[in-house]
Amino acid sequence: MGDQIVQWVAGLLRQAYAMLGLSPIAGILDRIVCAVAMFGFVSVFVMFLVWMERKVSAHMQSRIGPNRVGPFGLLQTLADAVKLTTKEDVHPVKRDKIPYFIAPILAFVATFMGMVVVPFDNKVVVADLNIGVLYIIAITSFTVIAILSAGWSSNNKYSLLGGFRSAAQIVSYEVPLVLSIVPIIMITGKLNFSSIVQYQQQAGYWFVVPQFVAFFTFIASATAEANRAPFDIPEAESELTGGFHTEYSGVKFAMFFLGEYVAVVVSSAVAATIFLGGWLPLPFFGFLHLPGFIWFMAKVLFIIYLIMAFRWTFPRLRVDQLMDFGWKVLIPITILNILITGFVVLLLGKGA
Amino acid sequence: MGAIFTYFKNILTGFWNLLLGLSVTTKYLFKKTNTQQYPEEKMPLPARSRSMIKLIYDGEKDQFNCVACMMCAKACPNSCIKLEGVRGPDGKRRMTTFKLDFSTCIFCGYCVEACGFDALTFVSEEYENSVYKRGSLLQDEQAMKWNRPAHLAPKPEEPAKVEAAPAGAKA
Amino acid sequence: MTDLLLSQIKPGGESPFGTDEYVVNMGPQHPATHGVLRLVVKLDGETVKETMPVLGYLHRSIEKICENRTYPQCITYTDRVDYVSAMSVNLAFALATERLMGLEAPPRAQWLRMIFVELQRLASHLLWMGAFAGDIGALTPFLYGLRERERILDLFEMTCGQRLTYNYIRIGGVMIDILPEFIPKCKAFLDYFEPRIVEYEELLTYNPIFLERTKGVGVISAEVGINSGVCGPSLRGSGVSCDVRKQQPYLFYDQVKFTECLQNDGDCWARYRVRMDELRESISIVRQCLERLEPGPIETKLPPILKAPPASEIYSRIESSRGEMGIYLVGDGTAKPYKAKYRCASFSNTFVLDQLTRGWKVADIMAVLGSLDMIVPEVDR
Repeated sequence: MGDQIVQWVAGLLRQAYAMLGLSPIAGILDRIVCAVAMFGFVSVFVMFLVWMERKVSAHMQSRIGPNRVGPFGLLQTLADAVKLTTKEDVHPVKRDKIPYFIAPILAFVATFMGMVVVPFDNKVVVADLNIGVLYIIAITSFTVIAILSAGWSSNNKYSLLGGFRSAAQIVSYEVPLVLSIVPIIMITGKLNFSSIVQYQQQAGYWFVVPQFVAFFTFIASATAEANRAPFDIPEAESELTGGFHTEYSGVKFAMFFLGEYVAVVVSSAVAATIFLGGWLPLPFFGFLHLPGFIWFMAKVLFIIYLIMAFRWTFPRLRVDQLMDFGWKVLIPITILNILITGFVVLLLGKGA
Repeated sequence: MGAIFTYFKNILTGFWNLLLGLSVTTKYLFKKTNTQQYPEEKMPLPARSRSMIKLIYDGEKDQFNCVACMMCAKACPNSCIKLEGVRGPDGKRRMTTFKLDFSTCIFCGYCVEACGFDALTFVSEEYENSVYKRGSLLQDEQAMKWNRPAHLAPKPEEPAKVEAAPAGAKA
Repeated sequence: MTDLLLSQIKPGGESPFGTDEYVVNMGPQHPATHGVLRLVVKLDGETVKETMPVLGYLHRSIEKICENRTYPQCITYTDRVDYVSAMSVNLAFALATERLMGLEAPPRAQWLRMIFVELQRLASHLLWMGAFAGDIGALTPFLYGLRERERILDLFEMTCGQRLTYNYIRIGGVMIDILPEFIPKCKAFLDYFEPRIVEYEELLTYNPIFLERTKGVGVISAEVGINSGVCGPSLRGSGVSCDVRKQQPYLFYDQVKFTECLQNDGDCWARYRVRMDELRESISIVRQCLERLEPGPIETKLPPILKAPPASEIYSRIESSRGEMGIYLVGDGTAKPYKAKYRCASFSNTFVLDQLTRGWKVADIMAVLGSLDMIVPEVDR
């Protein structure tokens, strides 16, 4: 169904190009339209997520949460965004100007770029890269540069500590993150997200069933990658005030904030795609004939809810314990998982 | 082998305890919230609540109950009560000016307890005491005037003050 | 103070990596320092080399003010010494004055005092639990703790009219008798509250992250604890029996059954366990008190002007929520104390911080600071 919608929109676009006499550069324009649409979608979705996080946390703590702006406080994030954008941009005098300026942009763009390879529905994807998995792993690692330069250039001790913590953390958790995807690649033999979903469709099961260990290690490492609690030591409020974004205010702070949430969206989208069958309907609910897009978003929201529940339930790890957890728990488990998967794949002869 | 066993056992028990914690927060997710939406919903304070000090005004006699005996001023630990009185034509003392500086008042209640003439009281209905100017906190007898509703008046057979003034508070 | 630390910093210091040490000011305005405590911390990377608490940002000279107030008026200031556990300080001062003047409160007043002080201990430990969990990074227990604390404060407000600065426990008795509906309400609260403790324990006690953060962190050995004057639940976590309620029973603590909660490890987790156990003990004490409450007067007859005997002095101590709360009073025959000294548990507990955090990570400062349960107004007074 999503396929038809895309065809229809593409048709409309072609007509519009023809009317404006831009048909020769239609290929480039398509890409631009896609990017803008994606940007708009992700921004609105992130605003919704901020609201959702505040509501979820509030109800977990038997509070009400935002309920003043708009119905159920839905427009609260919009009001916050207006406040942040109209704020004076306060910055430290002795900052390192260029990295200080670039860091928030990089933090936002790097995470946002990951979204382009995630298929929302069958054939509804901005760029259906055949190395999608590799691309997403590579591109999301850029955040560490942003956070490190933010921490360094702010000329603040808290920021510096936060930046270094983040560097160590993201580099360490990159490994289990990749290692938990490897078994899926071993089974499917594909690096393309759409192919992975199609494999699950043909196989008749989601990878969360045979690979539940990988699912949990992936969620844990993705939470750490996104600097979310319980792995939020780079911005540990009770220790480092604000961590790497202590000195940022206004729009720049908003970009870090958005970046964090987009990272969550990207991780959840990847997890939903490779472990929960992407756009495939829930088992036994296939008769509903909902568009795949709806199923996909439902799965993404479920994983985001999990990550939020972690944040509002668990305490925060210390920096060395965080490293221990990454290197001594997650990595051995994922490697063991890879070994076992390898044996099974060999035995069943399902390898690519 | 034992070490490997404990390693996995620790991970599994840890995982279980994490789930236990998650179950608590998830349970509350669907429970009724405890928040009270303050400006819209107002909670009635208990009758004993020490929220605002008022001077009781006797509407029938058209005068304050206060006789300027100075007990409240002496009991106040912060000396925030200033009052003056004169002896009236009928030979009874009457309060002329009464000033209470709420910016230094700590609402300890000693003035109300020390008052033997049923002239000072706490009013639990008025608890929104914030003001825009600090000067407004220095209230005089007109600002503190309170016509006591009939149902709150002490019954004649009962003594005016149930609690005795704390001994020594007036020293 | 900062200069003192800075002068000791050696560039390319003792670290094998040749890194520099640096000084970070945590506070007086910092999200984790419970008010306006300032910690000057010398760090080598993430490792703490030295922690120095700098006090005085909340100093209000309450001890000096008390010299210029009559004994009953002083009680209003004791509310402000430790505002999280104001009833305990009220009681400490009232008991000290009574002992100085040879007074005794009637039995009903004593039972009422016990009820309110133990309820206050519940409220204080609840706030502590939330703040401690918040220091470690779990924000939800704080809200749960405050939710239950509100119900305790409702009971207080119903009785004495205030939620924070009660001025309820007076010299020679209590301010006012409880309302008839207090007892059923209090029992209903205790019944509601007891299962909540299980919930907190599910959230925290055996949470692996919480265990990691608190087990073996900030170990106070019995020797160090006694030598540095640590007291209260913090010392009981090291296995030292130091409950004034047991050692020098005041009020009717010798007539109720309760056990002194002890743990042997001396780390943050042990201190946490001691306080969680104390919650249960306090509930049982309140229940016993409610049963033994009998009608009677609530105040002794006091002279109109309360004067201390000339050249008299007393040191009287009670177990407040945070530990031993001692009041030293010197009377000179007038209605005002010649000298009033507060011996506060928070103050003595704070200074063990440096010994506990040396060589640990930055995050441990917060865990240890939280576990010691210090309240800045009580430290500075």
